[in-house]
This record gives sequence, structure tokens and C-alpha cells, in this order.
Amino acid sequence: MEKLKIKNISKAINGLKIVDRVTASFLPGRITGLIGPNGAGKTTLFHIITGELRSDTGEINYRGEDITLLPPYRVARKGIGRLFQDVRVFENLTVSENVVSACYDHRVETPWFPFLRKKRWKALERDFKEKSDYYIDYVGLMEVKDVPASSLSYGQQKLLAIARLLAGGFSLLLLDEPTAGLNPVMIKKILNILKRIVAEDQGKTIVLVEHDMSVVTEVADWVYFMNEGRIAFFGRTDHVLGDKEVREIYLGL
Amino acid sequence: MNYILHLLIMIEIYLILAYGLNLVVGFGGLLSLCHAVFYGIGAYASTLLMIKTGISFLPAMLMGMAITALFAFLVGIPALRFRGDHFVLVTLGFQMIVFTVLYNWVGLTRGPYGIPGIPRPVVFGYEITSLIGYLILVGVILMVTIIILFILYKSPFGLALKALRDDEMAAEGLGKSPIHTFLYAFIIAGGFASLAGSLYATYVTYIDPTSFTLDESIFLLSVLLVGGTGNRLGPLVGVVFMILLPEALRFLGLPDTVAPNVRQMIYGLTLILLMFLRPQGIAGEYKINHYGKAEN
Ligand SMILES: Nc1ncnc2c1ncn2[C@@H]1O[C@H](COP(=O)(O)OP(=O)(O)OP(=O)(O)O)[C@@H](O)[C@H]1O
Ligand SMILES: [Mg+2]
Repeated sequence: MEKLKIKNISKAINGLKIVDRVTASFLPGRITGLIGPNGAGKTTLFHIITGELRSDTGEINYRGEDITLLPPYRVARKGIGRLFQDVRVFENLTVSENVVSACYDHRVETPWFPFLRKKRWKALERDFKEKSDYYIDYVGLMEVKDVPASSLSYGQQKLLAIARLLAGGFSLLLLDEPTAGLNPVMIKKILNILKRIVAEDQGKTIVLVEHDMSVVTEVADWVYFMNEGRIAFFGRTDHVLGDKEVREIYLGL
Repeated sequence: MNYILHLLIMIEIYLILAYGLNLVVGFGGLLSLCHAVFYGIGAYASTLLMIKTGISFLPAMLMGMAITALFAFLVGIPALRFRGDHFVLVTLGFQMIVFTVLYNWVGLTRGPYGIPGIPRPVVFGYEITSLIGYLILVGVILMVTIIILFILYKSPFGLALKALRDDEMAAEGLGKSPIHTFLYAFIIAGGFASLAGSLYATYVTYIDPTSFTLDESIFLLSVLLVGGTGNRLGPLVGVVFMILLPEALRFLGLPDTVAPNVRQMIYGLTLILLMFLRPQGIAGEYKINHYGKAEN
């Protein structure tokens, strides 16, 4: 059963078709690649799925539920998490606060909660401190745990964004170039995390936008190839990457 | 001595205003230019309730708070559709509208004539008339305000506000609702401003619209800009500095016709210097930068 189904999604900005009648579906327990040249519309497609942008046509269905018109915070609450291509950490918060903020859900974030459920709040605070430490340690940022996120390097900020996303406990992860800018050891580590996520919990789904084909080959068995707003190919990774047109348009071979 | 007590009472009243506004400006990163509106509506609502219905101070103050909170909700809904400069301009617009209404709705507010002879508060059977009495009354309400706000500052709600302030798109992507969170902050800040207004009205026993002008809103914002935002210390530093500065100038012995103008100029100069030297405020952690927001 598909976790996420997008049907006939189109988006024009200033008369330019940026996403053009895209139909795709993503299965649980699997990492699916989404590849294509710069400007193909991959990030825009993510914007549409998460509700940042509204599509002109079509429908997005998540776990059998129509989420096409939901605002981003409602999409997130359904269990769809996103790693932004431009990272977007909370700069004035510490690394630890960044990750903790992802743990709280909206029922806890009301102004009355700390007054009505004081004990529960304190308990959650402890639990989430531990949980965030776990993920911070996991991405190797323990040394800078109490430093404001603005003082991290680009690569470290990316790791922080990943830790934040993992702590959020999302069921579908939309990852926009998670390994760009990271060193080889870290890339390996991130890939292991991704593989582990889907291996441990067959209900989880990952969509991976990536320009590094060795990464795609390693973790994704299936890929969509997007070009000029359209899904041009879908198939097994080796198959798509072996295609003559893909090699010409994208890989320059 | 009386002079010092008066200054302390004014500092207490402004602390209530500044700590409330800090939630919107410091935690939410939204530069609101209509805080004096909530201060004024609280003052007028509680005063009119006391005078027209004869209820005593505390219930009037609480009802004033409820009325102001409702008003903050109604202002917040349209204002929070905007961010950055546009939010500043929309709140400025509300500030001007409400001032005009207070000034011209003579039937209700007596407009420019103001409302004199506001009754002294009677609290649990005691009529408060002395400066010491006011210092204690305002002090107690300030303490309650600070306790509540400090809990909010470090609650998940406070963290969500800061997350939304730093990157609205990323915070929303984690399930935090910008409109709900900002609106709560706006309403809470408005409610506490109304407390300050009620206290101010019975303290000076006379109110007119000129206490709740755009100048006042700008002053309150400058208090936070000078002191620093987003933490517990900033508003205290800002209030003490901005209230004591003109008093200090008084001792320079400037003639009365010149002193107020010099005071204004020094306020302005302080702000300009601060933006160059320490944009996060004297005791602040977070530098207000309302251009950095994601806009959709
Ligand atoms: N708000 C916008 N206004 C105008 N054009 C836009 C807007 N957003 C995206 N575009 C255009 O849409 C196209 C697709 O952009 P998108 O960011 O989705 O590409 P991408 O596949 O993610 O590329 P990359 O691999 O470089 O990240 C680009 O040509 C871009 O210029
Ligand atoms: Mg992109």
C-alpha cells in the first residue's frame, strides 16, 4: 500500500511551468530517489507536498487521506518531515534547543500547558533532553551541544537539521540533498542512519533528492528522474541511470 | 522620598508592559507598534467599569484584561497575516485608529477632556491612597506577572515562539502553527499591558488619550531595543535605563522649556548609538532583524 501518492500535480509560476503533471507514489519501508538536473523542480515538488506552495491541479494523498490543501504545520503533524535544501536551523537557539524543539508536539506548546500539567511538562523536559542528547550524539555534535546554531559550520548545521528531523519522529521523510556539503565519513554515517530508519521500521518512507549518484545507488533501489518539471523516468536505480537519455541530459556521459 | 517612590511605581508599571511585550518582540521577533493601545484600553475599560458600574478595582482590572485580550485577538488576526515591515505598519495603523477613537468618542471616553477623579483602588477592604500602598499593590501584580511570564519564557510555548522567530518555515515544518502561537503571544502581551493600564489609571487618578499615543508605543519598543530582548534581564535593564535617564537629565539644571526636547533628542541618540554599538540591546541575546523572515 502506498504511503504517499501524488497525482497530476502541476505548478506554474509567472506563466512558467515548474512542475508539470507529476504523478508518483512512494512505498513504506523504502528509500526512493528523486533525481534530475538543477532547476528540474524537485524542491518545488517538496514545497507542494508540504503545503508551502499550492499546486494548480491534482491531488496529494497521504495514508489514504487527502492533504492537498493543508497548511504546512498540519502536514507536518500528519507525520511528514522535511530536510530543507537550505538547511534552516534556528540560529539563535543552541544545538540542544534546536533538537528539543522538534520533540514537543503542539498540544504541549500551548501557553496553558505548563500551568495545568506542570508535572507532565517537567517529565517531558527530562525525556526530551535525553532524546535530543541521543540524536546529537548520533550525528556527532555533542561537543557543540550548548553553542548557538548560528556559530556552526554549514556541514554541522546540516547534521543538526538531520538530528532535529529524526527527533521529530516523522513517518515520511522528504530529504533535499542531505549529504551535500558533508565529508565522506559523515556521508557514510548519514546513509547508515537512513538505511537503519527503513530497516528498523518498515512503516517509514524516505524520499531522497540527491545529486551524488553513488549515494543514490547505495541506498535507493528505485528512482524517479525529473526533468523540466516532468517525471521522465521511473524504475530501478541501475536501470534509470543506465538509460541513454538520462546519461545524456543529466550525467553528461 | 516621594519622588523616588513615584519613580519606583512607574518603573514597576513599565516592567509589566515591557515583560509582556518581550513575548511578542523578543520571543516572537515581531516588532509591534501598538502596545500602548492595549495599555490604554486596559486603563479606559477598568476605569469606566469602576465609574459606571461601581464595581471595585480588582474585578474591574480583571474584566479590563478580558476585554483587552479580546481586542488583541481581533487586532492579531489581521496583523499576523503579515511579517516584517508590513506587520510593523499594520500595528501602527491600529495604534492610530484606536487613538483617534479614544480621542473622538466623547460620549464614552470624554475624549480630550480625559477622565478625572478615578477612584482609588480598594483591595480586600483596604483603600490604597499612599505611595507606599501603590508601590506594594503594583509590586504584587508585577510579581505575579513576572512569575507567569517567566514560566512561559521557558515553556515549550516560549521555545516554539523562538523557533518560529528564527525560521518560520522550518518551525512550521516541525508542526508549529505560526498563527496560533503568535496570536497567543499577542493576546497574552495585550492582557498584561491592560493590567499596567488599570494600575496606571488609578494611580494617577486621571487619564486622557495622550498617555496612549504612538509615541508611547515607540517608547515601549525602544525600552526593549535598549535593554535587549528574548530573555529575562533585558526588559529590566531597558525600563530602568529609559525611565531614569530623563530624571538624571533633570539634575543638569536645563530650563524647563529646553529639557523635554533635550530628553527626546537623547532618547533618539541613544537608540542610534545602540544600533551601531550593540544591536542586541544592553542585556539582550537576540538581535532583532525583521528582514530575515521567510515570506510567502
Ligand atoms: N518562487 C519562484 N518564482 C519563480 N521561479 C521559481 C520559484 N521557485 C522556483 N522557481 C524556478 O523553478 C525551477 C525549479 O526550481 P527547483 O528549486 O524546484 O529546482 P530543483 O530541482 O530543486 O533544483 P536543484 O537541484 O538546483 O536544487 C527553477 O527554474 C527555479 O528558478
Ligand atoms: Mg532543489
